[in-house]
Amino acid sequence: MNTLEKTGGFSLMNGRFREGQLPIMAHLVVGYPSLEESLRTAEAYIRAGVQVLELQIPFSHPTADGPIITAACREAVRQGVTVRDCIVAIAALRKRHPSQEIVAMSYLNRIYAFGCQRFMGEMEAFGVQHLLVPDLPVDHIDFPSFQNLRNRRVKLVPVLAANVSDARLEKLLQMGFDFFYLMSDFKITGSAFGLHPRLREVIARVKSHPVAHCQSAYAPFPRVGVGFGISTPEQARLVVEDADLAIVGSALIQAQREGRLDAYLDELKNTFARATECA
Amino acid sequence: MELTQTAYKDLILGPEEGMAYGGTFVPEVLLPSLHEITDAFEEIKNDECFVAEFHHALCTFSGRPTAFTPLPRLSAMLGGAQVFLKNEGLNHTGAHKITHCIGQILLAKKLGKRRIIAETGAGQHGYATAAVCARMGLDCTVYMGRKDYERQRPNVYWMELLGAKVAAVDDGDQTLNDAVIAAFKDWVAHPESYYLLGSAVGPRPYPAMNTFFQKVVGEEIRRQCQAATGRLPDYLVACVGGGSNALGMFFDFLDDEGVTLVGVEAGGRGSAPGEHAAKMRQGKLGVFEGYHSYFLQDDDGNIAPTHSVSAGLDYCGISPILAFLADEGRVRFETASDEAALTAVKTLARTEGIIPALESAHAFAHAFELAAQLPKDCIVVVNASGRGEKDLFITMRHFQEESLRDYARHLLAF
Ligand SMILES: Cc1ncc(COP(=O)(O)O)c(C=O)c1O
Repeated sequence: MNTLEKTGGFSLMNGRFREGQLPIMAHLVVGYPSLEESLRTAEAYIRAGVQVLELQIPFSHPTADGPIITAACREAVRQGVTVRDCIVAIAALRKRHPSQEIVAMSYLNRIYAFGCQRFMGEMEAFGVQHLLVPDLPVDHIDFPSFQNLRNRRVKLVPVLAANVSDARLEKLLQMGFDFFYLMSDFKITGSAFGLHPRLREVIARVKSHPVAHCQSAYAPFPRVGVGFGISTPEQARLVVEDADLAIVGSALIQAQREGRLDAYLDELKNTFARATECA
Repeated sequence: MELTQTAYKDLILGPEEGMAYGGTFVPEVLLPSLHEITDAFEEIKNDECFVAEFHHALCTFSGRPTAFTPLPRLSAMLGGAQVFLKNEGLNHTGAHKITHCIGQILLAKKLGKRRIIAETGAGQHGYATAAVCARMGLDCTVYMGRKDYERQRPNVYWMELLGAKVAAVDDGDQTLNDAVIAAFKDWVAHPESYYLLGSAVGPRPYPAMNTFFQKVVGEEIRRQCQAATGRLPDYLVACVGGGSNALGMFFDFLDDEGVTLVGVEAGGRGSAPGEHAAKMRQGKLGVFEGYHSYFLQDDDGNIAPTHSVSAGLDYCGISPILAFLADEGRVRFETASDEAALTAVKTLARTEGIIPALESAHAFAHAFELAAQLPKDCIVVVNASGRGEKDLFITMRHFQEESLRDYARHLLAF
C-alpha cells in the first residue's frame, strides 16, 4: 500500500470537495520559467490548498495547447529541461508533501523516448496515480509499442469533449478509468470560457457509473475535472457545481508571469470560502 | 518473417491496422471526425462510382494521365541505365499534390462538409487545395508558418486569388509543423470542418487514404513503361518529404519483386542535427502529429528542427507506411544534398528541357548516380513530382543572384 492510500485517498465525499481544499486541479509546466521557480509555484499551489497538482512535462510541440502553455513549454525546452529533471522535481515535491495528489501530464513522444515502462515505474515510485497524455486516446495502449503504459497503480486519464459518443463513453467507463478530464467546449487551452450545452449530461453519465474493476472502497464513482479556458475563480466555482474539479492552467501561468500568482490564489480561496458559506 | 508481396498491398489498404506504425494519436475530441472519415474511406475504396468520378476529375481537371518521358540525352551522358521520367509536374497546379486533394474533396463533399482546413509548407498543397475548393465551391482556410508565408509569397497570392483564406502561423519555428498544429487546433474548435491533410502522414486514415488516391501514378507507369519498353522498370526513384509522391509511385509495384524501390530524402547541408531532413538515416521511432513512425528528434523526445533547400522535403516525420516498408527492406532510402539537388535541376533542364521542382530534383540527383553505375539494359524511372516554376526565386538566387537583384529593384521601382 502506498502513502496515498494510507491517507484515505482523495476521493470526494459524494462529489463534494474536502474540507480546507480547493476543488481545483492547478496546472504548471515543469521548468518554466526555471526548474526552481516552477517548484516554488507548485509550493504556492499546495499552500493555497489545491486538491490536485498537475505537472506538465514540457514538449517542443504541444499540439493541443494554447499560446500561453505552448510558450511556457518552449521556454522550458529551450532551457534543456529533461524528462529526468521533471521526475526529480516530482520526487522532491512528493518528499515534502507525502499526501498531495499529483497528476503528471506529458505528450506521448517524451514518454516514449524515455521508455514507457521506465517512465511508469518512476510515476509509481513517486505516488503519481494519474497520467494525462493528451495525444493518446486511452485505448491506444493496445498498440504493441505502448502496452507498457498499462499500469495498475498509475492510471491514464481520458480527455473527452462533448462530442464523445455514448458507445465510446460506455467503453471507457467499462475499462475502469476513475478520473475523466472533460474539455469545457471545442477549443484549445487558454481560450475564452464557455461550457458546451451537452457537458452536464456527459458529467452526469460519468459520475453515475461505478468505477469498473475497482478494488478500493473509497472511490466508487469516477471523478470528473473540467478544463480548457477556465480563467477566473468565478468560472471555476461555476464548473464545480457539476464537476469535481475545475482545471486551471493558462490563467495561472499568466498570473505567475505577471507577478500576481499569490493574489490570484487568494482570490480563488476567497471565492470558494464564500461559496461554502452560502451553501 | 517474409510477407508474400501481395500481402503488402492488402496490409496497407486493408481495414485493419496491420502495420507496426501509424495509429490515431490525437486528442479524443478529434476521434469522431477521424472515424467518420475512416468509415467513408472504407466505403469509397470499393465504390466503383466514386472511383470513376475521381478518375474523371483527374482527367478533366488535372490533365491525367501525365507523360512518361524517355530521357535519351541524359541517359547517354550518364553512360548507364536508360532513364525515364514520370512527369507529375504536368498536373494542374504543378505537382502530384492535387491528386489526393481531388480525392479528399470528393470524399468531403460526400460527407456534406462545407469548410476545408489544410496546412501547407511550400504552399504547393495549399495551392492545390485552394484550387479544388474553388472548383467545388467550398470554404477554404490554409495554415502556413509565418516563415513559409514570407518566403513562398507567390503561392500565398495564388491561394488568395483562388478565394482561400491563408492564415500565417506565428507559433514556434513558424514552419510546416506549426502549420499542421494550427490546422489541428482549428479542427478541434470546428469538428464539423474537413481537414485535408497533404501527405501520406498524420493519423489514420490519411496515410492509407492519400496512398490510395496517389497510386494512380504507379498504375500509369506500369502501362506506360510496358508500352514504351515492353517490360517493367528495374528501379523506381522518388523524393520523400512525408511520402505521398513516393507511395503513389511505388504502391502498384509492391508485389513486383524485381522492381527496386528507392526513396530519396533531403540531405540538406550535412548530417548535423537541424541541417537535413533524413528521417530514415537519422530519425528515431516516436509519435507526433497523430502517428507513430520515425521522426527527427533529440535524445529526450523533443522534435528537432530540419533543413532542406526544398520546402516540401523540410519536414521532421515520414509516412508510417514508408517506415514499415523500410523496416521490411522493401523500400531503400538514400539522401541527396541541397547542392546536388540544385545541380540536378540544371542538368535536367539542359539535357532534356524539363525543369523539375527542387523536391523532385533530389530524386534525380540520386538517380543520376545510380543510373551511371547500372548496365545499359536497366530501366530507371524517376518521379518528377512537381515542376520547377514555383522555385523561381530560390533557384534564381542560386544560379543568377545578380539578375534576381536587378529584377527586384526593377519591380520595386513601379
Ligand atoms: C513537388 C513536390 N514534391 C514532393 C513533395 C514532398 O511531399 P511528399 O513526400 O508527400 O510527396 C512536395 C511537398 O510539398 C512537393 O511539392
